[in-house]
Amino acid sequence: MTISLTINGDPLEYSGDPRRTLLSVLRNDLRLTGAKEVCGEGFCGACTVHVDGAPKVACLIPMGTLSGRSITTIEGLGAPDMLNAVQQAFVDHDVVQCGMCFPGMVLSMSHFLAETPHPTRDEIKRAMTGNLCRCTGYERIVDALASIAPAQEALS
Amino acid sequence: MSTQATTPDRLTKAVMNLPRRDARDKLQGRTRYTVDDTDAGLLHAAFRRAEIASGRILRIDTIAARAMPGVKAIATAEDAPGLHGIGIADHPLFADEVVRYHGEPLAVVAATTLDQARAAAAAIEVEIEPLPACLTMEQSLAADAPLIHPDWQSYEILKDGAARGGNVAWEATVVRGDTDAAFARDDVTIVEGTYQVGRQSHVPFEPRAVVADYEDGRFHIRTSTQVPWTVRHVTAKVLGVAESRVRVTVPAVGGGFGLKFDCSLEPFAAILARKTGRRVSLVNSRREEQMTCLSRENADILIRSAVTADGRILGREATVLMDCGAYGGEQVFLTTMTAHTLGGNYRLESVRLSSRAVYTNTPPNGAFRACNGVYNTFALERHTDEICAAIGMDPMEFRRRNVVGDGDLGATGQVFEGDVLRPMLDLALTKHGPHDGRTHTDDGRLYGRATTVGTWFIFVGPSAATVNLNADGSATLVTSGVEIGSGTMVQSLPQIVAANLGLHPDDVIVKTADTDASGRDLGVGGGRTTVSIGAASEAACEEVRQKLLRVAAQMLQTSEEQLVLKDGRVEIVGRPGSGTSIQTVIAQAEADIGPISGSGAFTAPGIPAMPGCAAGHFIDAIDIPVFAVHDCELAVDPDTGAVEILSYRVVQDVGRALNPRAVHSQIQGGVTQGIGYALHEDITINAQGAFDQAGFSDYRIPTALDTLPIDFHLYEGAPSCGPLGTKGAGEVPILNVGATIACALARATGQAANQLPLTAPRVMALMDGAGPDLRFPHISRRWSDNTIAFRD
Repeated sequence: MTISLTINGDPLEYSGDPRRTLLSVLRNDLRLTGAKEVCGEGFCGACTVHVDGAPKVACLIPMGTLSGRSITTIEGLGAPDMLNAVQQAFVDHDVVQCGMCFPGMVLSMSHFLAETPHPTRDEIKRAMTGNLCRCTGYERIVDALASIAPAQEALS
Repeated sequence: MSTQATTPDRLTKAVMNLPRRDARDKLQGRTRYTVDDTDAGLLHAAFRRAEIASGRILRIDTIAARAMPGVKAIATAEDAPGLHGIGIADHPLFADEVVRYHGEPLAVVAATTLDQARAAAAAIEVEIEPLPACLTMEQSLAADAPLIHPDWQSYEILKDGAARGGNVAWEATVVRGDTDAAFARDDVTIVEGTYQVGRQSHVPFEPRAVVADYEDGRFHIRTSTQVPWTVRHVTAKVLGVAESRVRVTVPAVGGGFGLKFDCSLEPFAAILARKTGRRVSLVNSRREEQMTCLSRENADILIRSAVTADGRILGREATVLMDCGAYGGEQVFLTTMTAHTLGGNYRLESVRLSSRAVYTNTPPNGAFRACNGVYNTFALERHTDEICAAIGMDPMEFRRRNVVGDGDLGATGQVFEGDVLRPMLDLALTKHGPHDGRTHTDDGRLYGRATTVGTWFIFVGPSAATVNLNADGSATLVTSGVEIGSGTMVQSLPQIVAANLGLHPDDVIVKTADTDASGRDLGVGGGRTTVSIGAASEAACEEVRQKLLRVAAQMLQTSEEQLVLKDGRVEIVGRPGSGTSIQTVIAQAEADIGPISGSGAFTAPGIPAMPGCAAGHFIDAIDIPVFAVHDCELAVDPDTGAVEILSYRVVQDVGRALNPRAVHSQIQGGVTQGIGYALHEDITINAQGAFDQAGFSDYRIPTALDTLPIDFHLYEGAPSCGPLGTKGAGEVPILNVGATIACALARATGQAANQLPLTAPRVMALMDGAGPDLRFPHISRRWSDNTIAFRD
């Protein structure tokens, strides 16, 4: 059985084992290594991708469930020379350290801010609990995200 | 040197909040870590590990496994005859004849796919006869304990001078002054305390991982490591080949925290690459990474002090038992550091310390950010509060009176330079205000606040650097540094080179480690990179400057002393625009003397200790002490034992902060890791000798909701031999977090919070008067009984 889906806008016809995870196919078959395999059990969020626009952990999604779905990975977010507002805020606030959690963090938080344009600090932290980070201690990431909404308002 | 820019001038140029050049790629998922090498044609490797803590290997039969689909090679103990280790060579690559811990490698398989490798590894026939196991240090130190290394006397000694024996892998002692006399006085109060900590797992998001190749008769190892030269050395040693036949290169490292400060998977992959002639990838699964983590070790500690009514510490005796697991590893070195933490912080008129790395049949331990400093500081600060309670002195007053200052002696008799801790304490007191008498929060929880001090060190040691000046006016810095996330390679080092050569840091290319190109180095850890590699880089820049200015002086018809490097130009002092561009001088230099490059080296000469007072130590004294003052307010829920940190404030001795924003990142991240250590990162070892916690679901690292904005003050100006007066800033933020939280919790609950981590169930037990049994039958109250060297 072949499963048809799109990855970053490109069609994919997948005919392998339907039980394989999306993460394994992304990393090993398509060599899209931006999604990281860290915990492998859905706790850390480092493998987050967008499935039909909503963030999901790719390590827990069997390929067989993805027929007709549209997947966006970190590689498919925006353009190579263009950072989105979350990525730019992370650069501006110098929040990156080892970097392993950030592809997932960017995808989760980009969706969160789109859904919640004026979050409180507490809302940001609660939204971030599905994305773990071992380096940063989080607060600077929260600062960066909290800076986005007012900045966008100032521009408009 | 007359031509060198003055320190204040270079410092002004060097200090800036330079953004990270690697941030963009990391945020776009473009950075290729070692685990991201998934290219076609790569072979994948998987371990067969022991599932028993102690046993005799009767049979390992790989014949059936070799015949399985996709299998290209299998390696076992016969492929790696050498032993390695720190201080003593006690560690074989594979379990050989005996198994000493649950998870020890028995064999490793390379196959076309990872699934094939795992299937074949599982199909290897293994027969192991169980042997009695020592799973705790108490069991290992029992009179009738089985020896974990029956042949310990035959091991090669790599560092002389330590007492060893039985299940004691290494013993380091300090004897300074007459503690017997101090304890015998009738005007002292004797305070005794026992303390216990569990293990902490680093959980780097990139597990230990390697891709090995065999090229032109040499091994090429691409690996996620902090120590390329250690990997080169150990790989050669266990494989029995010349070190020159091993090349190590390091891509971006996805977190280290000390876990990758040792050689680990690299030799296994190297063997398989040689056997197959193919590139071989070996990556720990998360379960393997957790179950064989070279953790911050568990420890049992006894401290006794003889203190006068006015708070002078006349005598201190301590015994620290450090569980090294089945092999000595980093704990052998770390026995040294007990002297400089338990013997740090406060003036001691006499001191005796015994610090022992004890073998157990458990996974080996390793280095973790500030290492045993973290729990020795916890024990010492809790002990200090117990002293204050016993003599009725305010804890802040006691600390102000006793902290080490200019001219005071460290544990091994080194003389400290400068008053640092006392002004830091005063600053903290001014900034944070005195402790009020609050006992409860407004919502009725128990309230506690504590202020603690900490002493740690910068692990200096040798570094080398080369700076090549390019025709376009940029410079390339070549060192063995690696970027593990802390920012050293992308922030402080280019800032240092740029300040020395009058360039913008963006014009400094920083090459990451390649042992075929860069000089020897001790590795990225111990807060040493900015200090040691930075100093070597400054020395290399100085050679470049001299060559450049010599040529420019000829061109500009002036003397070298009249020239400065600024904004990519060589200018005559006081006459901006009078000089010429650096590219013009480089072009002239190529014609006159050839391309300009400089090499530099650094090592700290070593601070002398008092002769004869330390034995079994790897360093006599600490070259660069580093100090910290932490303050924490917390609330304890009396019904659940849940702890909430209400405020956390840090005053950190940084020497000079070259990139204050990046230092803040290290403080925020380091304190958060410390909160996890203090409250909820718990490793328990079951009857099989395995960890109960195998992944993220049961080993709980802090989430965004477990931390808070850490208030910080960067204390500058303390003496340091680092370049521009710098000290490392990444390691020390975690140093006294466990101490501060435990002291605050003890004040909130009125109970002896002498065991970490303080999980909610443990806090409930404490409040119910059912705290842990810390009587430690395996530690004698007679200090000399806890030593080999001084036992009767």
